[in-house]
Amino acid sequence: MQSAFDRRRINGPEDSYHPVFANKIQESPSNVHIIRENRKISDIRPIFLQPGLISQANGSAYIEMESMKIACSVYGPRQSKNTAYNEKGRLNVEVKFAPYSCELRRSPLRDAEDRSIAVAIQQALLSSVQLEHFPKSTIDIFLVIIEADGIEGCIASGSIAASTALADAGIDMYGLVTSCATAVIGTDLWIDPTQEESNTASGTLILSCMPALGIVTNVWQSGRIAPSEILACIDACNDRCTDIHSVVAQALLDSAHNKI
Amino acid sequence: MASTSISKAEKSYIQAGLLANPPRRADGRSLHDFRVISLETGFAPLSNGSAHLSIGRNPHNGSGGTDIMASVKLEVESVEDDASDRGRIVCNVSCSPSAYPHLTSGALDDLQYDLTTVLHQTLSHPSLHPKNLSIIPRKKSWLLNLDLLVTADAGNIYDALFMAARAALWDTKVPRTRSVEYKSPKSLSSASGDMDVDQDTTSGFDTRNVAHATDFELPDYWDEGEILEGRERWPVAITLNLVKTIHFLDATLQEEASCASRLLVVHSYESPTSPTVQSMRMLGSEELSILNLKNLIKEAESYTNDMFSSFTAKLEDEDFRRNQKARERFGKRR
Repeated sequence: MQSAFDRRRINGPEDSYHPVFANKIQESPSNVHIIRENRKISDIRPIFLQPGLISQANGSAYIEMESMKIACSVYGPRQSKNTAYNEKGRLNVEVKFAPYSCELRRSPLRDAEDRSIAVAIQQALLSSVQLEHFPKSTIDIFLVIIEADGIEGCIASGSIAASTALADAGIDMYGLVTSCATAVIGTDLWIDPTQEESNTASGTLILSCMPALGIVTNVWQSGRIAPSEILACIDACNDRCTDIHSVVAQALLDSAHNKI
Repeated sequence: MASTSISKAEKSYIQAGLLANPPRRADGRSLHDFRVISLETGFAPLSNGSAHLSIGRNPHNGSGGTDIMASVKLEVESVEDDASDRGRIVCNVSCSPSAYPHLTSGALDDLQYDLTTVLHQTLSHPSLHPKNLSIIPRKKSWLLNLDLLVTADAGNIYDALFMAARAALWDTKVPRTRSVEYKSPKSLSSASGDMDVDQDTTSGFDTRNVAHATDFELPDYWDEGEILEGRERWPVAITLNLVKTIHFLDATLQEEASCASRLLVVHSYESPTSPTVQSMRMLGSEELSILNLKNLIKEAESYTNDMFSSFTAKLEDEDFRRNQKARERFGKRR
């Protein structure tokens, strides 16, 4: 029998279960009617966005949306050593879930879900960065998810943090990218769903766009949504993205004032 | 995305052809024409369902084209305490290195992983979950493994993958099971023949001792099992490749390398007239306004409508070929 799967760490017992708290024992989610306590269905969670927290990176941002906490750092543009010549720069996004970020412990080694979130965030940012200005270079964006609240929340907040960090690093961009997620629960559209809400939803949609230019950079949808509802979701997300844009712009402005 | 390396001159030539009026493509198709699609179900006798699909195969010698083999294998799984006992679906796409000779193994793994994620996230969603994957409630259920193998890629890989997946799932038959309960044998020493003792007659109305199934067996049956439930729900995908103001379908490798981005929309037809969108992904760096996006989604629905009806007709045709016609042929031989 293998003594330890990962010799660098102290492995716990082979089979372990996370504790179930007494006050959380309730019926299955489909029976419980979810009510939003502090905000309306059409409201996003309040955003705390602080650029420039990681001093050794070229640019960084920390975003907090209630129970969603992501730290993002940007290194670049730096020389890409091993790839062939490319006249446009490369955007490399890496996402890592901290082991304590979700209810079930995540492996500290590279996980499968990390990459799908990284691909979605890269897609959201790709058209916003002026990559033609950085031939032969790579811009590395590293995101650490400190506390996660659903995959839609991760992608949405991650793209906002990454775009803020890119702006903080002074990288040439066409515009700021903001993202918003919507969940279809019954016949209602719930903006910015938490993990619990998106589990009960029949479908979710994430829209990333540049409100300043009116361009959509990424659409990610999963679950079952009727085509008419999709159009309504896109409109709702677009409106919210415009609101988030002003928050991001204000945060960057404040941070620039503080630097002077 | 894996793409052939293409020079700027060729890229602009292809784009100019697509944007011209009338649009020109290398093989003479219109913007919304598909290449020849060939489908065969049941090619893998050891699997519970399988399909072999190719797009754009040369009709004379069967070479070229995007080639996908999909197979479904059912495994029995013990249900954990509070996990669902309705069964699970796991999708996996593997890309043969012969399909992508120019990719390193790391890049190939990444590509495989990306394709797997899109398929798994779409097909394992609870809204598509078939109802007959449970064996013994709260104890045992079927784990459905859908494996797709890409043996050649000549463009339009997502449409091909979803079509092959749908065909394999359509073809899947779940083996019939019968629940079995173990009973301890009646003790031999009591009332063997000396005394007539009234045995406790068990009344049919006695609901106190409910039989609990502890295991199951596979009864002998002439067919492979019952059809996987919800076969009309499995979704169909369409990729719209975007070049500036126009969009086109079923791109070859060179066309994919020339267009900056594409939109993948997956529809499910639980009721034939009103489809629902099961998945949507955007790939690439082209700029897209909100209005354009909405128009593209509407166009995608109309293309998928056509695709769906002809695809279902073909699947039913395949069913007929393998069952009815095969029996007729066999009957004629005797």
